[in-house]
Amino acid sequence: MIAVLIAANVQANSLSALFNERLKSVVAVEFFVQDEIERHPVSVQGTVIDTNGTIIIPGASILPGVPPSQLKDFKVYRPNNIEPFSATYLGQDALTGWHFLRVEEKLRNQLVPITHYDAVVADPDLSEELWGIGLRNKDEDFMPYFLSSRVAMVTKLPQKTAILASEVAGPGLPVFNSAGRLAGLAQTSFGQNFLLFSRNQNGAPILLVNVEESSVVLLADEVLPNLARIPQTVTGRPIAWFGVYGMQPVDPEVAKLLKLENQPGVVLSDLMEGGPAVEAGLKERDIVLALDGQPLPRLKPDHVVAGYFGQEILRHRPGESVTLTIFRDGARQDVKVKLGDEPKLVREADRHYFERLGFTAREFLTTDEIANRIKPSEREGVVVQFVKQGGLAGAAGLRPDDWVREIDGEEIKTYEQAVKKLTQIESDKTRAEFVLLVSRGGETSVLRIKLN
Amino acid sequence: MKPTTLRDSIAPSIIRNLLLTGLVLAATASTAVAGMSRGFNRLLDAVVRIDVREITFEDGAQRFTGGIGSGVIISSDGLILTNAHVASPQAVEISVTLSSLEHVRAKLVGWDHWTDLAVIRLDLDEVHRRKLTFTAAEFGDSNELSPGQTVYAVGTPYGLARTVTRGIISNNNRPFEDDHGVNGYETGSFNTWLQTDAAINPGNSGGPLVTEDGKVIGINSRAYIGAENLGFAIPSNIAKRVSAELVRSGTITRSYLGLVPGVLQDLERFYALAVNTGLLVNGVDTGSPAAKAGLRAGDVVLTLNGQKLDGRFPEQLPPIQNDIATLPIGSTVRLGVKRGGQLLNLTAVTEKLESQVGEEWAFEKWGLSVRKVSRTFARENRLPDSTGVIVLGVQAGYPAGEAGLARDDIVTKVGTTPLTDLATLKKIYEDYEARPEPELVEAQRDRRISLYVIKP
Repeated sequence: MIAVLIAANVQANSLSALFNERLKSVVAVEFFVQDEIERHPVSVQGTVIDTNGTIIIPGASILPGVPPSQLKDFKVYRPNNIEPFSATYLGQDALTGWHFLRVEEKLRNQLVPITHYDAVVADPDLSEELWGIGLRNKDEDFMPYFLSSRVAMVTKLPQKTAILASEVAGPGLPVFNSAGRLAGLAQTSFGQNFLLFSRNQNGAPILLVNVEESSVVLLADEVLPNLARIPQTVTGRPIAWFGVYGMQPVDPEVAKLLKLENQPGVVLSDLMEGGPAVEAGLKERDIVLALDGQPLPRLKPDHVVAGYFGQEILRHRPGESVTLTIFRDGARQDVKVKLGDEPKLVREADRHYFERLGFTAREFLTTDEIANRIKPSEREGVVVQFVKQGGLAGAAGLRPDDWVREIDGEEIKTYEQAVKKLTQIESDKTRAEFVLLVSRGGETSVLRIKLN
Repeated sequence: MKPTTLRDSIAPSIIRNLLLTGLVLAATASTAVAGMSRGFNRLLDAVVRIDVREITFEDGAQRFTGGIGSGVIISSDGLILTNAHVASPQAVEISVTLSSLEHVRAKLVGWDHWTDLAVIRLDLDEVHRRKLTFTAAEFGDSNELSPGQTVYAVGTPYGLARTVTRGIISNNNRPFEDDHGVNGYETGSFNTWLQTDAAINPGNSGGPLVTEDGKVIGINSRAYIGAENLGFAIPSNIAKRVSAELVRSGTITRSYLGLVPGVLQDLERFYALAVNTGLLVNGVDTGSPAAKAGLRAGDVVLTLNGQKLDGRFPEQLPPIQNDIATLPIGSTVRLGVKRGGQLLNLTAVTEKLESQVGEEWAFEKWGLSVRKVSRTFARENRLPDSTGVIVLGVQAGYPAGEAGLARDDIVTKVGTTPLTDLATLKKIYEDYEARPEPELVEAQRDRRISLYVIKP
């Protein structure tokens, strides 16, 4: 009896010791997003992944269209300490979505990467208790606190993910088992449904997202192999490109009717003209059944298989080839696709803010071809990326995502042409107005912008 | 914000009673109007209440709904003018209450959602058999109206038959268009409207707006709900023309060019134009005759078949659109166009104007209600052609819903058969009813193709 009590005590003590030791792997990260007219402070949490001071923060920390040049003033803080250390932004990895940072030299030897600890080998058992670290806000000196919960389920989304009964760590921070082994990385939390009861006894369903803590954990064997994916460039390139924007799952009922022996598949549609898939001879309605000889796995719910396929493509590099087994006109065939280079992303696009006019024009991209449902040959004009509220363009009714096709009656063929034209207009103090031809949701209209 | 149509739906009785109470209180506060003209009293005998039972295809099933509107008898052989949003081809039962309070059945003669007008005809056999009598109203000249002139609205607001309200013409040339204004159909492109402050409420729809001598100068149609007496009526001169055509052929056939006009006001200097010259092209529908002719957004059409155009103000656009619409279908139109410094002569061949709303149907055993993709819908949504049906709704627990189909999906194929028309799908459904077997269905959602299985 006594022996048992002592053992329990030792374990409790060691958990607290493990907690204190592992605090060296977690940091708080602050930075600003500097857009055209204002600064948006961001405060997130990160995990140290190597001895070079490399830190990862969750993909959701930065909105997808934000160019790296707008990310300013990265600061890293240790738990319980408000001394800031500067860091450099390394870029975003397309496969994991993680953003990578590197903290300045003098902090590095006080940090311990999570790779320093052994990792859990097998998937956690249901009901197994895991624990993690939460960090309070800056006003509480990023004070660390202990969280723990039990594994409710393990599922593939498509990455192997444990969902716990309650919050287990701050999003982006590591999670451990009772022996202190690395179990995984807490993800940005899912929303949870609650019924909000009001005084008139009618419950209203609401979705609550705890942004400070998470109960969703990406398992260690999905995390560790990807830690080496430190972006080589701030834009995250190279990124492999398949050139297909519609990938819908084939559900078991459809597979049965098509006599595909319950083989999961992905129906292709929205194939980009001139993209790798089209070049390889793939067509709308082809059903992909296997990738490099490996049948697509049965994942639940059905749509996860589309995410799986997209991720498998991203594991490759541009120029590499994949062999797809497809089902077309009732027969299977193999198609070899040479993957391309992802076309320019919104965050990489050239853009220019016209302060007096009150809007940002950016170059027209492949994603805009899809959004506006046009062929690459119809590509022209520039896209409105930002409109200042109450500014001249805003007052005239210009909106973000508007597609500007003519400026003052001149057809716009290139981004450079648009910038030149708009710069001229902006600097001409005698002008009373100018005219844009704008497409929005398939409808075109002439928009007049008054300059005074 | 757009003014709303004013048909009354069947409301629960408690709400109706509350509304009635409110109206009674208001009535006691107002003063009575002194004796009206003979013409006016005669008009009162021509105004009817219209109860419509109609079929809808929402939520994966065929359902029946009811509505109350107003109408005015315009001929001694029992033709009644009302709104298109009161009596449409979806009506399965139309019952008219005459001023004598007698009910008579009526049938739809024709409708035109663009002007929100419909004509129904009383069952004259029944009228004669029951020895009922009615009076026909006379039209006035809506071009002669001036703002400030006293007018009366007569109708059935909230089911209160033979309600007369008084106001003035607030504006006699008000333009507005609504892409979904009449039961989801387009309206207002070819006419301007009379605006009045005579109180008009849900149920007034289709009733006449009249002068003091009882001449019909408008058909009450819409209002801003919640605003203080901002009501709109179709001018009688348009109603007269449209109703005559509806009686003659049951429908109004119009020509289509696919040119979306914009207002040129204050842009003359930019386009280097003399004032009151030309029609600005705001947009050109994809694949339309105007697009095929080479017309582009930002062009200014100076002449149409040699006639000078003037689209400086919004009020001027509906008449120009109407001029285009009244051209014969398939006729060649010569457009004198100014593009920047260039003057161009373009020719377009008109097509028949079609609504974006296609035919609707419900396949009850599938729990699926659909609307055919129209040519207009296909163009607006940049679909390659008009193959397919749009899902209006699915009924939970039925095969279509179980398969995963959802509202706004476009079903393009069943098995290997492309759905080029609704009849194709009806045939497939008949086969399914006779011999239920799983069917492979191809549908697009936001241009992404998915496959589904509808099975018994």
